Amino acid sequence: MGPHFLGNRTGFASAVERFGMPFVVKVRSFWRNLFASRRVESDLDQEIHTHLEMLTEENIRAGMPPKEAFRAARMELGGLDQLKEQVRERRIGGWLQSALSDFRYSVRQLRKNPAFTLVAVLTLALGIGANSTIFAIVSRFVLHAPPVGDPATLLSLHTTENNECCNAFSWPLFTDVRDNSRSFSGVAGFYELLPASISGNGDPQRLWGQATTTNFFDVAQLPMTVGRGFRSDEQNSPVVVLGNRVWKSRFNSDSDIVGKSITLSGRPFTIIGIAPPYFRGFDFILDTQFWVPIGNVDQLLPNTSHFDSRVHHWIVVAGRLKPGVSRSEAAAELQLLAQRFAQAHPDSERNLGFRFAQAGSLPPRDKNAVVLFLTTLMIVVFLVLLIACANVGNLFLAQAAGRQREMAVRVALGATRSQLLRQVLAESTLLSLLGGLLGVLISAWATNGLSAFRFPVPVTIDLNVGIDSKVLAFTLLLSIAAGLLFGLLPSWTAAWRLPFTALKGEDVLVRPGRFWSLRNVLVVAQISMSLVLLCVTGLCLRSLRSAANINIGFRSSGVLAMSVDPRLHGYTPERTVQFLTELQRRVSILPGVTSAAVTDALPLSGGHRSDGFQAIGKKALEPAPITELYMTTPGFLKTLGIHLVAGRDFSNDSAASPRVAIVNQVFADSFFPHENPIGQSVSGGGITYEIIGVTNNIKSRFLGEDLRPVLFRSLSQTVANDPSFAGYTILAGTASESSSVAGSMRSVIRDMDPTLAVFNEQTMRHHLREALFLPRLAGTLFAVFGTVGLLLAAIGLYGVMDYSVSLRINEIGIRMALGAQASSVQGLFLRRGLELTFLALAIGLPAAFAIAKLFSSILYGIKPHDTITFVAIPLFLAAIALLAIYVPARRATKLDPVVSLRSE
Amino acid sequence: MHPKPTTLLQGTLDLLILKSLLAGEMHGLGISRRILQVTGGTFAVKPGSLFPALHRMEEEGWISAFWGESENNRRAKYYRLTKAGRNQLEAEKKRWGRISWAIAQALQAQ
Repeated sequence: MGPHFLGNRTGFASAVERFGMPFVVKVRSFWRNLFASRRVESDLDQEIHTHLEMLTEENIRAGMPPKEAFRAARMELGGLDQLKEQVRERRIGGWLQSALSDFRYSVRQLRKNPAFTLVAVLTLALGIGANSTIFAIVSRFVLHAPPVGDPATLLSLHTTENNECCNAFSWPLFTDVRDNSRSFSGVAGFYELLPASISGNGDPQRLWGQATTTNFFDVAQLPMTVGRGFRSDEQNSPVVVLGNRVWKSRFNSDSDIVGKSITLSGRPFTIIGIAPPYFRGFDFILDTQFWVPIGNVDQLLPNTSHFDSRVHHWIVVAGRLKPGVSRSEAAAELQLLAQRFAQAHPDSERNLGFRFAQAGSLPPRDKNAVVLFLTTLMIVVFLVLLIACANVGNLFLAQAAGRQREMAVRVALGATRSQLLRQVLAESTLLSLLGGLLGVLISAWATNGLSAFRFPVPVTIDLNVGIDSKVLAFTLLLSIAAGLLFGLLPSWTAAWRLPFTALKGEDVLVRPGRFWSLRNVLVVAQISMSLVLLCVTGLCLRSLRSAANINIGFRSSGVLAMSVDPRLHGYTPERTVQFLTELQRRVSILPGVTSAAVTDALPLSGGHRSDGFQAIGKKALEPAPITELYMTTPGFLKTLGIHLVAGRDFSNDSAASPRVAIVNQVFADSFFPHENPIGQSVSGGGITYEIIGVTNNIKSRFLGEDLRPVLFRSLSQTVANDPSFAGYTILAGTASESSSVAGSMRSVIRDMDPTLAVFNEQTMRHHLREALFLPRLAGTLFAVFGTVGLLLAAIGLYGVMDYSVSLRINEIGIRMALGAQASSVQGLFLRRGLELTFLALAIGLPAAFAIAKLFSSILYGIKPHDTITFVAIPLFLAAIALLAIYVPARRATKLDPVVSLRSE
Repeated sequence: MHPKPTTLLQGTLDLLILKSLLAGEMHGLGISRRILQVTGGTFAVKPGSLFPALHRMEEEGWISAFWGESENNRRAKYYRLTKAGRNQLEAEKKRWGRISWAIAQALQAQ
C-alpha cells in the first residue's frame, strides 16, 4: 500500500534528513510557524479532514450506514477546534503566537473601556515613575561603574587606623605600596581637590583639578579625545590634560590644541591632551576639569605637598588589579604589607590597615548615610507602587467580575483555565507596560527637577541625575512585575472558580455577606499603606517648616558674599592679608553697603575646619571638645549680625602680637562653666589663644545639628600658618539685596587684581536655601509621594464602595420598596466602609510609628513621634475615606426602587 | 476478544510511533491502526494525542512529513522516519528495556 508521491520532497528536507540536523529543522519549523502560519494552518486543516474522511470510509467498510459512519468518526476525532488547538500548543513558537493573539485581544479589551484604561495607566505610571526616579538616583550614585577602561579591576585604596575607615595615603606609604605589591599592574596616586584659576581666552575662571602621578591615565586605561596622557618622565613638567567641557567652552573644541599654552594660577602650562567627555575623575560627583603631574602641586597650591612626611595623608590612591588576581588575594597581600609597614615604621603606621572598594564608588565613610537615605526613599516609593497595584488590582477585579459571562462563554467554547489566566495576565501586563512607558516620562521630568537642587558645598560638584539604560531596564522589569502582581489576584479568582453559574447571570465574585473578600483586603491594605506614607510626609513637611524657623544665630538675609583665592596667584601670606584688608576697606565704603568683612568660610557650609581644644591651666577634658574654627576680620560679627555677649571684637591685631580669639557661648560654657572666660587661654592645633570676647551661639555645619563650640580667629594672625584651602569670602552687609552692589564689589576686585577669579557669588538668603537642601529635598519628595498615595487610596476606596453599591442595587431596591428609610440604607454602606477604614488605621498606625523611627536622622526640630502629625493625619485620612464612601452610598438611595429592581 | 484498550503510558507514544514508521511511510490513521494492531488491540491512540505528538516529533526532526495520495486517491499527509528518528528509536528502546526490566524486577521481589 505504498503511497504514490504527489511531488518531490524539497532538497532542503532531504538534506536535513541526510545530515540529521534536528536543530536546523527546529529553526525552520519555528520560522514557518511564525511567518507562514496560514499555510501551516491550512495544512493542519487538510490533514484532519482527510483523517475524518478516512475514518468515515473505514466505518462504512465495516458495514455502518453513511450517516452513522460519519457520526462515529466525528465521535472518535473529538472537537475539531480543540484538536487543532492541542496541536498548535505543542508547536515550536506556539507560545509566541498565542501570546500575540492574547495581546491583540487585550488591546481590543482595553480600547473598549477607555475610562478604566486611563485611570489604571495613570495610577501605574505614578507608581512606576516614582520608583524609576529613585532608582535613577541609586543608579547614578551607587550602581554606576567609573568611566574608565575595565572598571571592574580598578580599585580605590584607603588606609585605616585601628580598623577605622578611611583615610588617604602619605606619599611614602603610596610609593611603598606601589613598589611592593604584586597584586596590581599599576598603582596611581593623586591630590584630589586642586583649585586653580585659568586665564587666557576669556575671563579668569576658577576650576577644580587633580595633581596625579604620571601613570594616572594608564592605570585608568583612558583613551584621550585629543593628544596623550602623561609620560613617565613628566612628573615635574608644566604640562596639563584638560577636561572636555573646558576644551569646548574656552577653546571651542580646537583640535590643534596640543602644544598650546594656558595659564593656571599665573603659571604657563602646555596642553598635551584632552580627556574624553565622560571622564571627570573616578567618581561622579566632583567636577574635575584639569589634570597636572603631581610635581606641580606646590606651584599651584603652596604648602600642599608633603612628599617626605609619613604623617600627612594627602594622596588618594587607585590600583589596577593584575589579570587573574582576585580581590581576596589582593586583600590578603595588602594585609601582609600593612603588617610589614607597621613594623618598619612603628611611629606613624603602627595600627595601619588597608581597605579597598570599587573605584568611583562612594567613599565607605559616607556610603552608609547615603545608602540609608536612599533605602528609606526606596521603601517609600515601593509603598506608592504597592498602593497603585492594589488600586488597579481592585479596578481589575471589578472588571473581571463584570466579564464573568464573557469568560463563561469562552470556557463553554473550549478555552482552558490556563488560557483564561494567560489572557487576563496579558491584559494586566499590557496595562502596566503602558503605565511604565508613561512612568519613564514622569521620571524624566522628575529627575530633571531633582538635578536643580544644589548642595551647600564650596567645591563644584555635579549631581545631575538622568534616565539611563539601567533605569529603563529597571522600569521594564518593574512594569512586568507590577502587571503580574495586580493581574494575578483577580485572574486567579476568575479562573479558579469556574463560573458555571455565570452563564445564568449569577456573579460568583460577589458574596455580599463576606467581610474578608479579596476586594476588602486590598482596600484595607491600600488605606493602611497610605497612612504610613502620609505620616512620613507630614513629618517631613513639619520638619521643613521647623528647619526654616531654626534660630541659626546670624543674619539670614541682607548679606552678599563672593569669594577669591589670592593664594592661587602666588600671593604671600603678607600680601594676602594686605589685599584682603584693603578689599574689606574698599567694599565697606561702597554705596548701599553698611558693613564689610572677610572670612575663610560661611557658617552652614557643611563643615569646614575644626580642632580639639583644651583650656590652659584647667583639668583637660576627655575627649578634647571638637571646636569649629573660623578666620574673621574685624566687623565680621557686625556684618553677620552675631551679638557679642561679653568682651570686644578684633581690632587690627598684627600677626606678631599674641593670638586672640572670640568664642561662642557653648565654648565658654564647656570650658569655663562658672567663670568669666574673658582673658582665659585655650589651645588647639598647637596654638594658644587668649579669649577676648564671647558671642551668641550659631549653627555651624548643618541646620539640624546640636550646638557646637565655635572659635573665631583673627584672619591677619592666621593666614600665614594655616591658610584656607578654599579661598576667602568677602561679605557685604547691605540695606537691600540689590544686584548693583554685587556688580560694584566685582569691579572693586577687578580694579585691585584683574587676574583674580571671583567665585561662589551668592546672597545669604540663597546660601541658606542651599543649607535647607536635605529637608527641602525630603519634604518635596514626600509631599509628592504622599499626595499621590492619598489620591490613589481615595480613588480606590471610592471605586470599591461604588462598585459594591452597584452590585447591591437590587437589594437596595427591595429594601426601599419594603419601606426602608434612605438613611438606614446609607448607614448600611457607611458602616461597612467605616469598619474597613478603622481596621486599616489600626494596622497602619503602628507601621507608621515604626517607619518614623527610621527617619529620625533627617528630621529637624521635631520628634519622630510628633503628636500633631499622628493625630491629624489619621483624622484627615478617615475624613477622605468617609467622603469616598458617602458619595456612592447616597447615590444608591436616590435611585428609584423600580429602576433599581429592573437593573438586571 | 480484544482486551479493553488502556491509556498509554507517559513517553511510550513516541516509541510506538517511531517503531510503526520503521515499517515504512504512513499517514496518521495508518499509524494509529498499526499501533492498535501490533499491541494486540491494547493501545488505541486518540487523535487528540496522535496529532500533537506527530507535529512535535516532526519539529524535533525525528520524522519528516510529505503530502501523498491515499488508497482512495485522497491527498493525505504521510510521515516517514529520519536518521535522527532512527537514533531516537534506539534510545527509546533502550530506555524502555530498562524500565520494563526494572518493573519486572520490582514485581518479582518478595
